Amino acid sequence: MPTVHFTDAEGVVRDIEGNAGDSVMETAVRNGVPGIVAECGGSLSCATCHVFVREDCLDQLPEMDEMEDEMLYGTAVDREDNSRLSCQLKLSEDSDLYVTTPETQV
Amino acid sequence: MSPSTETAARCPFGHGAEAPAGHHGYQPFQMKDPFPAYAELRAEQPVMFDERIGLYVVSRYDDIKAVFDDWETFSSENAQAPVRERGPQAKQIMEEGGFTAYSGLSARRPPEHTRIRAVVQKAFTPRRFKVLEPFIRQNVVDQLEAMLANPERRGDIFRDLAYDVPTVTILTLIGADVEQVDTFKRWSDSRAAMTWGDLSDEEQIPHAHNLVEYWQECQRLVRVAHEQGGDNLTADLVKAQQDGAEITDHEIASVLYSMLFAGHETTTTLISNAVRVLLAHPEQWQQLVEDPKKIPAAIDEVLRYSGSIVGWRRKALKDAEVGGVKIPEGGQLLLLMGSANRDEGRFADGEEFDISRSNAREHLSFGYGIHYCLGNMLAKLQAKIALEEIARLAPNLKLDNPEAIEFRENLSFRVPESVPVTWEA
Repeated sequence: MPTVHFTDAEGVVRDIEGNAGDSVMETAVRNGVPGIVAECGGSLSCATCHVFVREDCLDQLPEMDEMEDEMLYGTAVDREDNSRLSCQLKLSEDSDLYVTTPETQV
Repeated sequence: MSPSTETAARCPFGHGAEAPAGHHGYQPFQMKDPFPAYAELRAEQPVMFDERIGLYVVSRYDDIKAVFDDWETFSSENAQAPVRERGPQAKQIMEEGGFTAYSGLSARRPPEHTRIRAVVQKAFTPRRFKVLEPFIRQNVVDQLEAMLANPERRGDIFRDLAYDVPTVTILTLIGADVEQVDTFKRWSDSRAAMTWGDLSDEEQIPHAHNLVEYWQECQRLVRVAHEQGGDNLTADLVKAQQDGAEITDHEIASVLYSMLFAGHETTTTLISNAVRVLLAHPEQWQQLVEDPKKIPAAIDEVLRYSGSIVGWRRKALKDAEVGGVKIPEGGQLLLLMGSANRDEGRFADGEEFDISRSNAREHLSFGYGIHYCLGNMLAKLQAKIALEEIARLAPNLKLDNPEAIEFRENLSFRVPESVPVTWEA
């Protein structure tokens, strides 16, 4: 079972078991994890599913494509080197991801 | 793309969907206050076949979001089809004028939609329009100061601010002539009326001429970009094509045909509605004046409570079910986002305007899924700048006789005719 460990801006951790093939964003939304808004439903149009990925998990992830990179310039909390849009992060069977949600997505 | 009038005669299935004589008070083209009818529809008949427009009217939040999400069953191909079939004169004018536009993106389907949206999205990025922020702000300040200079201390936010600002912005982004705001607004009004209006054959004629002119201008802009290049979105799309992106000149012109309409029309409405609704709740407006950081959340609440587009169409590509009601293949739907946004099942006290509402952003005013409004961030940015500058320059603005504000007749677009304001010396 893939697992995502969500830490919010206040430090509260939620460990969520997901399904391979789902995105980190879908995993959050289906399980009511706060801190991920995902207004557009994954069409790379809103930048409200921004997460910071723990450095040692980055190599588990697919490469960032140009459009994700562009949209990260539109996040409410400024992007950092470990920023990703969680709608683009698909889980595999053995995913074990640690991500932090920003203080706000607005 | 078959016009909805073909199915207008009767409900093909009828099981529970047939409308009662009163249609629960719903009047498809009346926009002044559709909300009591929406509430009754949600309560009494959340999926109602309205034989007057040939559409299944869907009014609950969960049903609407599910339809938006299931693009494989519910196609957007009818989103830009004329609600009232084009009359013979209009048809002739448009044919002779070489009018071949239909949709830039919103009524296209995958894989074509996916291909074109990918190209356009790369040219319409946050970086591209964030650069314009100081320019937009200056434009807002100039417009506001001109309005506030009126010695009679009366203005119209629609006309004096909301009309110009987003139009100048999109014309600049696209590389069109910013001196032609009135012309583009005229074409846009015609587009809204011809597609979503309730026009007679006669009434369509001037609008048909406008659409011919509008489409010619879109095509001309693409030719100019080929000949001269430029630092704008049109030139970027042409350059993408030259670098191998799969997009034709007709498709680029079609994208312009979309953006030179959608890129300002709905933002003019958003800025107008934001001011109208906030000034109608003076204690909440006062909160924004005192703490402008609350403005972005307030804009989402305006989008929820009074969105620019309150209804949008889809077409079932196979037999389907929505909210327990059978929709036959070919059945066309009208998703009432304006109703979904007040659904008590999603929004507690949904009929109340409350800028501190924590889930206002779950509104469906920008749609949901693959067709989610491309311009959502630019629209909100402009509304935010407008409210920030009004709060700074005219914190004591008052709404003048708000009950008298009329709204244009339209199936989808809920547009106030004016937003009259006054202020103390």
